[in-house]
Amino acid sequence: MGTKRRRGGNGGMEENALAILDTSCFSKSTQHIADDRLSFLEAVRSGFLVPENPPAPTNKIYKAVFQILKDENSLYLITSSYQLLLELDKRFPHVYLSTAKKSELSSPSSLPCNELVVVEEAWSPFSFGTDVSSSEKEDHGKTSESLDVTAFHLLIQDLTKVPDEENNEVLDSKPLRNMLLFQYLVSVLEGDFVLRNLAFTENSDWITLRESLLNMILVSRKITYKGLIKDWLSAMCELSQFSIDCSHDLRPSETESPEVTEKSHTALAIALPEIVKRTCVSVQKFLLMIIELDSSKKTADTKGWTTRADGVRTQAMEIIMEELTYDKNILFPFLQALDKPKLKLDMIVQYFQKYIPKTSVRTRRSNGSTDDSTFGGVLKCFSNGNNTKSIIKKINTEVAQLLLAHAFQAYISLHSTENKEDIADNSLPEICKNMISAFTCLKKTDEHTVIPPFGKEALFTAAIMLSGV
Amino acid sequence: MEEDPFDFESDALLASSPVVAPKRRKKVIGLDDLLMDHYKEKNRVIERESKLAKTKKTYNSDDEEDGRVAKLSKYVDECHEKMTRLSDEDDVSIWGLQVFGNQKSPPSSVFTDLSSCSFFQSFLSHEVNSLVELNTESEEMFFEGLLTNGWLLKLVIKCGKVEKSIARWTFHLMMYSSKEVLRSAAVNFWCAIFLQKDEGDSMPLSIEWLPSYSELKSALETYGYLLDSPKKDSCDADMDIGDSKHMGPPQNIRVWIKYVSACSQSRKFHYIFSTSEAEDLVVIIICLLLDRQLLGLSMDLHECMLSLINFFKDEEWSASCTRTAKSVTMRVPLDINCLRAVECIPSVCLRAKQLRSTISFRILLGYFDKVEDEEEVIRQLTLINLKDKSCDLFRIYIYLVLTENWFLYNLEEKPLLNEMWGLYLRNCCCQINITDTRSYASKVRSKASYLLQATSDTLL
Repeated sequence: MGTKRRRGGNGGMEENALAILDTSCFSKSTQHIADDRLSFLEAVRSGFLVPENPPAPTNKIYKAVFQILKDENSLYLITSSYQLLLELDKRFPHVYLSTAKKSELSSPSSLPCNELVVVEEAWSPFSFGTDVSSSEKEDHGKTSESLDVTAFHLLIQDLTKVPDEENNEVLDSKPLRNMLLFQYLVSVLEGDFVLRNLAFTENSDWITLRESLLNMILVSRKITYKGLIKDWLSAMCELSQFSIDCSHDLRPSETESPEVTEKSHTALAIALPEIVKRTCVSVQKFLLMIIELDSSKKTADTKGWTTRADGVRTQAMEIIMEELTYDKNILFPFLQALDKPKLKLDMIVQYFQKYIPKTSVRTRRSNGSTDDSTFGGVLKCFSNGNNTKSIIKKINTEVAQLLLAHAFQAYISLHSTENKEDIADNSLPEICKNMISAFTCLKKTDEHTVIPPFGKEALFTAAIMLSGV
Repeated sequence: MEEDPFDFESDALLASSPVVAPKRRKKVIGLDDLLMDHYKEKNRVIERESKLAKTKKTYNSDDEEDGRVAKLSKYVDECHEKMTRLSDEDDVSIWGLQVFGNQKSPPSSVFTDLSSCSFFQSFLSHEVNSLVELNTESEEMFFEGLLTNGWLLKLVIKCGKVEKSIARWTFHLMMYSSKEVLRSAAVNFWCAIFLQKDEGDSMPLSIEWLPSYSELKSALETYGYLLDSPKKDSCDADMDIGDSKHMGPPQNIRVWIKYVSACSQSRKFHYIFSTSEAEDLVVIIICLLLDRQLLGLSMDLHECMLSLINFFKDEEWSASCTRTAKSVTMRVPLDINCLRAVECIPSVCLRAKQLRSTISFRILLGYFDKVEDEEEVIRQLTLINLKDKSCDLFRIYIYLVLTENWFLYNLEEKPLLNEMWGLYLRNCCCQINITDTRSYASKVRSKASYLLQATSDTLL
C-alpha cells in the first residue's frame, strides 16, 4: 500500500541523524553524550515531524530513540524521547485504515472501504520469541533492544514498587522512566489493538486480532498470564493509593547544588504526581483492552473461528473478581482507582450477586421479578429486611454501604454520558429513591452503624438529584 | 626504563586527546576514519598506561624512590587533568534560567459561605438528613469529600450552574492548597466544566464567578515567579537564592498549567482572557519551559502552549504572534537560553511553526544592531569570516539554529533568502576545518552539513 515507497529514499538525512549519536564515543564526559542524544532527538523531530510530507523513519531511528527512553537517567532525555516516540507513532501509525487512498483510486460511486493496513516490517518495541534469532542476526550479535514479554511483565512488577522507591530520601529517575516506558508501551499496544479489534467486530477477522501485540503477549508461554493480571492489580492499587496520599511537597535534598541547571531533584519531585496519575490511566487502559480482547475471543470461540493453537485463557475479569473477593484490603483502593464507570458498575453488581440470597428470592417470588443482575435489582434486594440481614452477615454493613455508593457514583457517571443503553433498566429518580431506602434499611437492620463519609456524600447527591433544585 | 620520569612523554600524552587529529581528509565527515583514529589513540593510551604501571612497579620495589614515585604520579595526574580539560574545552553550555524565587505566603481566605449554596441549603431540611446528619459546622470537610470524590461536579451539572461560593472555594484550593488530593480534584472539577461538550440538549453551565487573569497572575507571583518584567542581564549572580525551603515553585504550578490550558480551550463559552492576556500567558509558558525544575512537566507545558496558540482567532493570530515574539525576546537573555526559548515550542502545527519562526527572527535581530530587514540579517551572517580565530563559534551556532527555525515558516516564497541561507551553510561547512579545535567548531560544522543535506533534499 505504498508503504514501501514511504519508507525509502531518506537515507542521507537519516544517516546524518544517526551519526550524531555515533560521535558520542569520541568524548568522555556524560554531558557530551547527553547533549549528542538531545541533538539526535531534535534532528529526528525536525527531520520526520516538522516537514509537511516527511518520509517515515526507518527502524534504526526508532530503535535508537527507544534505546534512549529505556536506558537514560536524565529526566530531560527520558521525557523528550518519550514524547518523540508518541509523536512518531501518531504520525506514522503501524496499523491504520486505508480509506482515503482507496476512495481516491476507485470510482467515487463505490463505498469507501475501511481496509486494515498493517505495516509488516514496522519496528515494534516488543519482541516475541520467534523474532529473537532473526533480530539478533541483524544486530550482529548485539542484544535485542526491544523488550520481550518477560521484560514487560517485570516492568509491571516494577510499577508496584514505585511508591516504595519514591519514599526514599533520594529521588531517582528510574521509577519515572519505568512509568513513562510503560505508558509508551500501552500506547503502542493500543494503537495496534484498537483497529484490529474493530476489524474483528466488523469483519469477523479473528486472524488479524490474534496477531495483535496484546494477544501475543497474553498467550506467550514465557510468562504466567495469571501472575501478570495479579501484578497488574497490585500495580494499579499501589499507584492510585500513592497519588491519593501523595504528600510530596518538595523536599530539597541537602546535596542539591544551588546551580540553576542542576535542579534535577526538584524537577523529579514536581513531575512525579502527574506522571503517576498518567500511569494509572495507562494501567487501566491496559486492562480495558484485555477485557475487550477477552470478549472478542469469546465470540470467536463460540463461532468456532479459533483453533486449539489459540489456547484457553481465564477471563481477566474473573481473575480480578476472585482476587477482590479474597483480598478485601484491595477492594476499595481498587474501586477508588477505577474510573471506568461501566466496568465499575458491572463489577459491583457481580460482587453483590455472590452474596444475595438467590434461593430465597426465587422461592418467594417465583417468577423472578427481582433481577439482581442490574444495579436497580441489587438496590431492590436492600429494600427487604431479611435479604439485607443475610447480606450484611457475609459482608459487613460498611462494605455494603461503600459498594452501593461506588455503584451509585458509576451509575450517575454513565447516566450523564451518551451511552445510556447500559443502564436503561431504571430511571435516575428511581435509582436515587432506592439508594435512600437501601441506606435506610441498612440503618434499621444494623442500628449501630455509622455511615462512612463516602456513603453520606452519595446520599446527599441522591437527595439533590431527586429534588428539583 | 632509564629515561627521566619527568620527561615522560608528556607531550605525547597531551597530544593523545582525540580532538587533535592532524590529518588531511578528503571527505568533510569521515566517521569511519575518525573512529579508526580514535581506537588507535585509545590503544596508544592503553599501551602507555601499561608502561606506566610497569615503571611504577619498578620504583615500588625500591623504597628509596618513594618520593620520586609520588612526584611522578602527581605529574601524571596533572597531565591527565590537563587532558580532560582540553577535551572538555568545547563544553556545551546548558540552558536554564532562574524563573522562580522565594514563594510568598498565599492569600488567606476563610470560606464561610459554602453553606449558603442552594443545594446545601435545600438538603438541610431534607428528610434524608436524618441519615446523613449534616450541619453547617462540618460543611467544609463535607464539601472537600464531595469535591475529591467527584460528586460536586455531578451536582453542579444537575443544577446547571456553578455558584459563586463554590467557584471561589475550588479556585482557591486549586491555586493554594498544599494537599495534592484537593488541588488535583479542584483542577479536575474546573477542567471538566471548561471542556464540557455542548450536547445540544443540555444547557451550558452558567458560572457565577470566574477568576480573572490578574488572579491567575497573582497566584503565579505567590509561587515566586520572577520573570515578570523584561530584563536581559543574567540575574543569577546577585539573585537572593534564599533558603531552599521557600524556593518556588510549589506543586501547585502543575494545576496552574492545567487550568490555563483548559481555560484557553473554552473561549467559545466563557470569556476569561483578552487576547493580550493570552499573549502574556504564551510568554509565561515559554519562560516556564526555561526553568529546568519544570523539565518533567514539559508535556503539560507543551499542551498548554498549543491550547493558548489555538485560543486566537485567525484574524488575531498574526499580530499576536509578533507581539508575543517581541515580548519573549525582551525576557530571554542572548545566550544558550534563547535557543531553548525557540526549541521548546512544539512545531506540530502551522501556528506553532510561525511562532517559532517569528521568535527566532526577533532574537536574531537582537544580535545585530540597527538591522530590521530580513535580507540584511542573512547578509550579515554570510559576511562573517569563520576562519578568523576571534570568531565566536558558539555565537555562530546560535545563529545557525535560529536561522534554521526562522526558515521553518514561509520558506518557499523567498528564493533569495533561501539561496543566501545555502551560501551561509556552505560557509559553515567549508570554512571550519575538521581539525579546528575551537569550541563549538565541530558542532557548527556538523549542524551545517546536516542542514545543507536537508535543504538540498527538499529542493530535489
